[in-house]
Amino acid sequence: MLTVDHVRKDFGKVRAVGDVSFEIPTGITFGLLGPNGAGKTTTMRMILGILTPDSGTVTWNGKKVDGTMRRRFGYLPEERGLYAKMKVREQISFFGRLHGMVEPEITAQTGAWIERLDIGEYADRPCSELSKGNQQKVQVACAAVHRPEFLILDEPFSGLDPVNADMLLAIFNDLKAAGTTLVLSSHQMWQLEALCERFCIITQGENRASGTLADLRAAWATRVLRVAPGSTAVRAVLDRVPGASFVTTDRDSVDYSVPVSTDYSEVLRSLVGADAIVRFDAIEPSLHDIYIKTISEVA
Amino acid sequence: MNEFVVVYSAELMRRVKSRPFQIGLIIGIIGIVAFMKMPSFIGGAFNGNDTRIVIAGEPALTARAKAVLAHDYKIVGVTTDTTAPDAATLKARNLDAWVALSDAKALHVTVYAKDPGKGWNSIGRALAPKVPVEVKSIGSHFADANAADAAQAVAFTMLFFLYMLILINSQLVMSAVAEEKTSRIAELLIATISPVPLLYGKIAVATTLALLQMVIWIGVGVLLGVSDASATAAAGPAGASSVHGFDLSGILAGAVTPVEAISFLILFLLGLLQLSTLFAGLGSLINRTEDIGSISMPLVIPVVGALFIAMAALGMPNAPWVVATSFVPILAPFVMFARIAVSDVPTWQIVTCVAINVLALWAIAQIAGKLYRVGMLLYGRAPSLKQVWHVLRT
Repeated sequence: MLTVDHVRKDFGKVRAVGDVSFEIPTGITFGLLGPNGAGKTTTMRMILGILTPDSGTVTWNGKKVDGTMRRRFGYLPEERGLYAKMKVREQISFFGRLHGMVEPEITAQTGAWIERLDIGEYADRPCSELSKGNQQKVQVACAAVHRPEFLILDEPFSGLDPVNADMLLAIFNDLKAAGTTLVLSSHQMWQLEALCERFCIITQGENRASGTLADLRAAWATRVLRVAPGSTAVRAVLDRVPGASFVTTDRDSVDYSVPVSTDYSEVLRSLVGADAIVRFDAIEPSLHDIYIKTISEVA
Repeated sequence: MNEFVVVYSAELMRRVKSRPFQIGLIIGIIGIVAFMKMPSFIGGAFNGNDTRIVIAGEPALTARAKAVLAHDYKIVGVTTDTTAPDAATLKARNLDAWVALSDAKALHVTVYAKDPGKGWNSIGRALAPKVPVEVKSIGSHFADANAADAAQAVAFTMLFFLYMLILINSQLVMSAVAEEKTSRIAELLIATISPVPLLYGKIAVATTLALLQMVIWIGVGVLLGVSDASATAAAGPAGASSVHGFDLSGILAGAVTPVEAISFLILFLLGLLQLSTLFAGLGSLINRTEDIGSISMPLVIPVVGALFIAMAALGMPNAPWVVATSFVPILAPFVMFARIAVSDVPTWQIVTCVAINVLALWAIAQIAGKLYRVGMLLYGRAPSLKQVWHVLRT
């Protein structure tokens, strides 16, 4: 388990991270969310030991993260970079060696990643000749070639076309299945929702919400009730539901915000008595909704 | 240790394959070839009308010589006493030489010089064609003019090597650091291993390549010298004068003492390590490769200055300001070496110089290490001096 315990980091007079804490159980995928400048990258750098926290601690399985441990970690930074003139195969092998791999494992794993990422035709070409998307795939290979115990991926999908994004999604799921603990930071909420079991939302360098999606939803006081048709009779019934308020309507349906404690079966019975109901959904808030609400509350 | 080896081997391969290294090596070889094919100019370069001499001989001879030499030398006195002066006499009158003229059969010049390598043959050439000049050492480091000439030639050549190798390789370290910073691969590297092996791996590669370049350049020089010697031998006495190159192999074989060779190596390593460490630290502050020139300029200027001081030191190795600068870090590797090559530098001065510069290297490594650790993650506009100071204090 990775434990981040009340870490703080200042750069001169600028407070990058004020107070961030969370726990990541081994083998799960964790989503670290926050707007630009929230302190995500600084938090990741403290986890990896690139930066030392001014206060607080970071431990992996109860031990402080050190150089030896770090070589079993992997990192894909938000700012991508490769040696422009180094060939793809050499580049992946180099990072394998840096992480302590030895032959013949390096050659085997490098070949496997090249094949998996479908970049075989570029394997012996300098990285500068690759497209941005293919360079990004090489960087993922560099970060994960050593089959890390713990892998941090900062915006791994940015700049990728949907096919390559799906390819990476599948790779991350495979890594997770193989036991790698993953931390993902992304602004693609649907991808995070599909991949991650736990989340932490930070803004202005502090935790604002954390837990599973169910935990985050539990803290959400309302649900959206979507009913079709959105007739006058239907709206009259919904207007009488305690705590309900109109949200929006389109040609076929109407949305109302209702308290999470609403008795849906009772509402449905009343609606069926008023009109021929063809749709009745109590919609849970998405990660996107929770994220927007959380950061807007802070702002 | 393993991290260091991985960084070192990868960096070595990258650098050997890089164009700047290959071009630098070739330019160096071309420079050596050009240098060796130039006529020897070292001795004459140090003549000037601030050279203080006394002319000794028959009044008719000295009068003629005084008229001819007055333009190029400061003639302090004229005497009929042609016996060899002692060192105290030269020192008391602040003389560079005592020039004794005789014309028993033909005009003959004997120069009793404090520095026999100062190009005294030009006195003979000035007086009349083919006048033999015999140079004798008075209180000098060298036995005769040939030894002094050879030592100055060696010192000049080795200074040239020092300058080229140290400056080129230090700047290549800066370029390598800047490349990792600007290509944004630095964060990935620092997330994987500690910055220390990254930094010292690069410096170790620079040192290895500088030694490699030195071996290749000296090798080329020696081979050319050998081929020139063969050509001279084949041409016989008549052809000897047409082969008038800078015989590095002969000079190295005859004039490089073990003390000079060891001094060269130690001072070379100290200079290279000091500068490449500083260049690496500063390189980590670069955000755009275009900034390399402006950031490196404050370090290049003292190195160029050190070369000029060292060249002056060949002519005046014990001048107080030369002695003082031969202890100053960055300058010392050049100036102290020049002094060792042409004079008897007291052992305590050499030891003190090395000690000061080893300490300076340690201090530089601390400063550069801090700059590197922070600088590699600093992006955006270039840090101000105040920010750099803040980094160094934390």
